[in-house]
Amino acid sequence: MTAATPKPPRPAKKKDLMSRIPAGFVRAVLRGHSSLGLAFAALIYLICLSGSIAVFAHEFQRWESAAAPQLTEASPDAVQTAFEGAIAAGGPGVEHVYITLPTSDFPRLLLYVDADEDRQFLADAQGKIAPGGEAAWTEFITRLHINLHLPRTWGGFLVGLIGVALLSSLISGILAHPRIFRDAFHLRLGGSQRLQEADLHNRLGVWALPFHILISLSGAFLGLTTIIVGVLGMAMFNGDVNKVYALFIPAPPVDDPRPAPVLDLRPMYAKLPQDGGRLTYIFTEHPTEMGGAALFNVEQPNRMAGVDSYAFRRDASIYSQQKAVDNNLGEDLLGGMGQLHFGWFGGGIVKIVYFALGLGLTYLAASGVNIWLARRRDKGRPAPGWERAWAATVWGQPAGIAAAAVAGLALASAPAAIGAWLAVSLLFLAAAIRLPATRLSTLGRIATAALTLAAAATHFALRGGLNSADPVAWIVNLSLIAAGAALLLPELRMRRNKADPATAAA
Amino acid sequence: MEDSAPLIPALLALVGAGTGAWMLRKSWGSKDKANRGWLVGGWLLIAASFIRPMLALGSVRGFFIALALVSTAALGVVAANYTVRQAKARAARESLAPEPSNRATTKGRETLRWLLAGPIGMIAAMGVGIAWAALVPGEQQTRLVVGGLIVPVAWGACMAWTLADNRILRATAVLTGVALISFTAAIVKGFA
Repeated sequence: MTAATPKPPRPAKKKDLMSRIPAGFVRAVLRGHSSLGLAFAALIYLICLSGSIAVFAHEFQRWESAAAPQLTEASPDAVQTAFEGAIAAGGPGVEHVYITLPTSDFPRLLLYVDADEDRQFLADAQGKIAPGGEAAWTEFITRLHINLHLPRTWGGFLVGLIGVALLSSLISGILAHPRIFRDAFHLRLGGSQRLQEADLHNRLGVWALPFHILISLSGAFLGLTTIIVGVLGMAMFNGDVNKVYALFIPAPPVDDPRPAPVLDLRPMYAKLPQDGGRLTYIFTEHPTEMGGAALFNVEQPNRMAGVDSYAFRRDASIYSQQKAVDNNLGEDLLGGMGQLHFGWFGGGIVKIVYFALGLGLTYLAASGVNIWLARRRDKGRPAPGWERAWAATVWGQPAGIAAAAVAGLALASAPAAIGAWLAVSLLFLAAAIRLPATRLSTLGRIATAALTLAAAATHFALRGGLNSADPVAWIVNLSLIAAGAALLLPELRMRRNKADPATAAA
Repeated sequence: MEDSAPLIPALLALVGAGTGAWMLRKSWGSKDKANRGWLVGGWLLIAASFIRPMLALGSVRGFFIALALVSTAALGVVAANYTVRQAKARAARESLAPEPSNRATTKGRETLRWLLAGPIGMIAAMGVGIAWAALVPGEQQTRLVVGGLIVPVAWGACMAWTLADNRILRATAVLTGVALISFTAAIVKGFA
């Protein structure tokens, strides 16, 4: 009999980097990830949802102004006529006029007059002020994303804080999931709701991570700029924040408040270099005072922060100019941050991708809470109150935003849009006191679908949807109808199955 | 002149990145070393997906267009290869997924933890950002913007750390120290 030969010890399996993270650390980080996610989930969800929609702000503005004149070019004479017309119609106390010139992305001549009462106008190819320039819904959705309709400074800070919380969740999310890279391609649907949500949450979290970091970092930076500049000014410029801004923007013109005729932009046009750039924006300051001035932004192609700026005095002499090609890294970063955050740098395809990835990020926020709720249920500690409140938030917001679109289109008023959004949001939260979460979700889906379809119908009825020459108005209406139908489809299918169990079984 | 139309380079990048992600998927689950080719090839193809947009649409613009598309293409590959899991009867054992820790805590400690994650973390992060702007050489605008970008990153890291760390007094000491040192250094040096 021979003694059994002992088996050679198995070579130790080499662990990947993430798997070497100690379990105690993972559990601690997961706790932090949960706490942070739960504390800010509703605001992260709302900001991501509104941001995804705001990617199409230009398209929505075209949709709202479907009946207004379309322009591909605007001559200096037409711009001057429109400028004078907008000042005359803008009422007393004109401080600034912002002129957006037509581009392929936004074929309108748009003038925003900052006066005692701020107003916005569109003009035709001759520069004549034209009706139909109201864009209450676009204003609603962009302001909801940028400052949650709170006072600008506080709202911006809150949104910046949410950006930081999102960034922090991304950091802790990666550290708290040691298998996140190993399972990067596993998507298992069906079975337990918690596992399905966790798979979707983690796959979206890992593959869209560069986008998520980009969006949260740029959003946090843009939101926190005011407070960062304020602290910087206090710490290093004896409280003078203007010294910080002066490093990035041309000095304002010398103030001379004596009344004067409206600034003549045409001689300034004549002094712009013909270097292949495209004039996209004119910012005028005190246009009816002797100290009036105008800043012309000329965009150079294929650059993220490719804006050359020329600042003119009233007599059309240049007092400051900055070429994009001479920008340093800081100026380029700052100049490109907004475009990068909103996806306004790569045409329609990038906007669609940003919208889809943005909705993915919105889902990430929603699914995080769903996983927490499902975990509690699995452990025999369900939280029905929180389930109802979360269902009311998740479905109340899209329904509220769709209601704002209907109100904005019908009444052409941003306050009306805000009122409709608030009313629907509160209605859902009130319904959460009595209705179960599943019922709230069904109601929310139906309400969102109905209101989305109503928005398209309102556009057809009141905003010239059927006669619009702008193809974007048609695309938006068709997208709204498709979205409404897609939201209704599961509900209709379920009702049909209930009514005809034999077909359902087959 | 308008920006170059991004559609064709973007579609090429999408196809390249999608193929790259598909190759990575082939290598991912396999323990076979022969599959290393799929891994290397996949990453190379994803890297190559950046080149065409960067050449055709401007280096920075093209890079960020490709970055958004690579994520989308990879998610498309993941979504296209989903599997359906059968619902099982509830297993008696606990889930294998890690669970959040159940640390013993008090109201005071939780308040301090959120103060550290919120205002104290913000002040420390601002200190680091401002110290960067003051102390690091380079163009003034670049120092300011990079310093500004450091603030959310540092604050986010503070949040992640303080909400996870059980040793809350250590976090308090570190964040207070960082805030004091960074602001003092920035003010003493000044901005020039």
